[in-house]
Amino acid sequence: MTDIAVAPPRPQTIWGRVGDFLVRRPESTIAVVALALAAYFAVVNPAFLSTANIRIISQYMIATAILAAGQVMLLISGEIDLSMGNVYFMTPFLVFFASEAGLVLPLAIVVGVLGAGVVGYLNGAISLGFGIPSFIVTLGMGFIINGFTLNISDGFPKRVPSTAVGVAIFGGANFSGLMWVIIIITGMHLILTYSRWGVYTVAVGGNPLGASEAGVPSRNIKMRNFILAAMLAGFAGVIEGIRVGSFDPGAGVAGAKVFESVAAAVIGGTALTGGSGTIIGAFLGALVLGILRDGFNLEGVSAFTFTMVLGAAIILAMILNSLANKARIRSQSARL
Amino acid sequence: MPADTVQLLSPSRRNFLKALGMTAAIGLINACTNDGATATTAAGGTGGTGSTAATGGSGAGNFPETPEWSFTFVNHVTTNPFFVPTVYGIEDASAILGTTFQWTGSEIADNAEMVNAMEAAIAAEADGIGVCLVDLEAFNGPTDEALAAGIPVIAYNADTPPGNPNNRLCYVGQDLYGSGFEMGNRIVELVGEGKVALFIATPGQLNIQPRIDGAMDAITESGAAIEATAITTGAALEEELTNVEAWYLGNQDATGMFAVDAGSTQAVGQVVRDQNARDNALVGAGGYDLLPETVELVSEGVLDFTIDQQPYLQGFLPTLYLYLYKLSGGVVTPPETNTGLVFLDSASAQLFLETASRFEGDAAEQAIVEPVG
Repeated sequence: MTDIAVAPPRPQTIWGRVGDFLVRRPESTIAVVALALAAYFAVVNPAFLSTANIRIISQYMIATAILAAGQVMLLISGEIDLSMGNVYFMTPFLVFFASEAGLVLPLAIVVGVLGAGVVGYLNGAISLGFGIPSFIVTLGMGFIINGFTLNISDGFPKRVPSTAVGVAIFGGANFSGLMWVIIIITGMHLILTYSRWGVYTVAVGGNPLGASEAGVPSRNIKMRNFILAAMLAGFAGVIEGIRVGSFDPGAGVAGAKVFESVAAAVIGGTALTGGSGTIIGAFLGALVLGILRDGFNLEGVSAFTFTMVLGAAIILAMILNSLANKARIRSQSARL
Repeated sequence: MPADTVQLLSPSRRNFLKALGMTAAIGLINACTNDGATATTAAGGTGGTGSTAATGGSGAGNFPETPEWSFTFVNHVTTNPFFVPTVYGIEDASAILGTTFQWTGSEIADNAEMVNAMEAAIAAEADGIGVCLVDLEAFNGPTDEALAAGIPVIAYNADTPPGNPNNRLCYVGQDLYGSGFEMGNRIVELVGEGKVALFIATPGQLNIQPRIDGAMDAITESGAAIEATAITTGAALEEELTNVEAWYLGNQDATGMFAVDAGSTQAVGQVVRDQNARDNALVGAGGYDLLPETVELVSEGVLDFTIDQQPYLQGFLPTLYLYLYKLSGGVVTPPETNTGLVFLDSASAQLFLETASRFEGDAAEQAIVEPVG
């Protein structure tokens, strides 16, 4: 009689179940990395865990996390948006002009975000309509939006009125940025994991031909993702501008912003080639980047060596992540 | 323990130890860059925190022994060569006084990044902060936060205009509007009439916008028949050159090309030389700051003048002021300091051309600079 391999019994203890849950989730490894880094910085500098510093870490994260959330949906569906950094800087000026025209701040923000959505629509329409890779279309669109922003702003930063209605909620108050990050991340995660939109996004990215054969409206899904990404970028720009107190055309900064959003998405476990990804991972990726930046600043690392240390730390963090991931997968397959 | 929990643990125990090693490696990299070692890069720049010269016993000079105070300097273009002498100034002052420093901020004039760096310094309880106030609003809140936490704040290189609610203790740098106004007068003298371009890297930024405002005002007030336009060149040196060249090729009847920041000035000089602009209608060209190429072009007569604002002092003096403020418990309040509006023409540029020193940023050695005969 041949021996049939029998799977070991599923764990029944609460710790077993928690362990089981964590091991299944791909984000658990990057979470471990984030915790390890936080522990290291906390030990090296007691100020790291102070409330003020937690706020500062959250500030480092706001733009990256929100942009990454939009970027993840696009990356999963097989596209990318390189114009998000420029939309980030354009939208505050739309909000500024809307509020100068008499709209109260929350409505002006809605107008601005809709304007950002128009850019997303154009990105999608041109890429999908002409079959051009979104990398190129959004790159070109980024330049257009850059020039557009400089033109409408005359290259000059604009003051944010500190007494406008709703300023505190939209970035003015201390933790409002973090609040928005959590709302957006939670919302996007629910969309990706529990809605048809999310399932279709993964399908379209993972197996475009099969998905369209199966009746998934891929063009529609990708358009939605383009528009959503642009709107999130615009919103992030507005709340960050309000936090800082000044809307700046950010001529040289846009590229770095969008690049960091892609980095956060990839660190969090989203594949650049499409088909898989995680919003929570993007949040954790942004958290890791924020912890690194803040931690090194707290320690007093000076600018010239800062980028060297940051880059080395990112690579090491990713190696750690990859090793932990292999361990996770191995322990998972050991259960089968 | 249930068998599968052991399986969960054992493959990862080895990897856990590897992971521990990785975290330790990250820490080691950190430690290597933070214990006062200064690395000199090819451009003469420096990294890491300043080294301390205090050797136990009583403090610097006549002063009592002081704790190792650490000052954070927040800058908008941390890797721009203009600020290399500034960092040298901070280093030298720190060495005399026994303090350390951190040079941080943004490489690309990102206000949010600078604000984050300033707030991180406050959270880390820095003993003093120097900041370039390049925006009307962004740094006002953090300045007040720092002052409330007992951290002195000094503005250097860029300042908010009078009447603005930023509560920094003083400003150390060039009188920005005044220098622009003087340049405007110089432009009227040199050029007299015609089409003049005023190049600016990033409009609205408070360390250069007032200069162009001053120049425009001086030109208007003089009533000269000059058509002056402000042109944006961008924040990076290469793109500044391209933008100036592009403008000139489209406007070869220009009688004057001037700039209000270091990179644009160098670009103007290079374009005037490469396009032989003085063989056409151009009669006047000049700008700000002492990038090596700029100084050379001034000494050759390609540029009529450049304006020095002594970046070395913009690092040295704030360090000294912060130290004295801390030492005296606030009794010695730092004074507003104009680091200079020095017009350099082809004759006076010789001194800078023939010497290389920490004060100009093009040499890292400590040496006595012999005056050029």
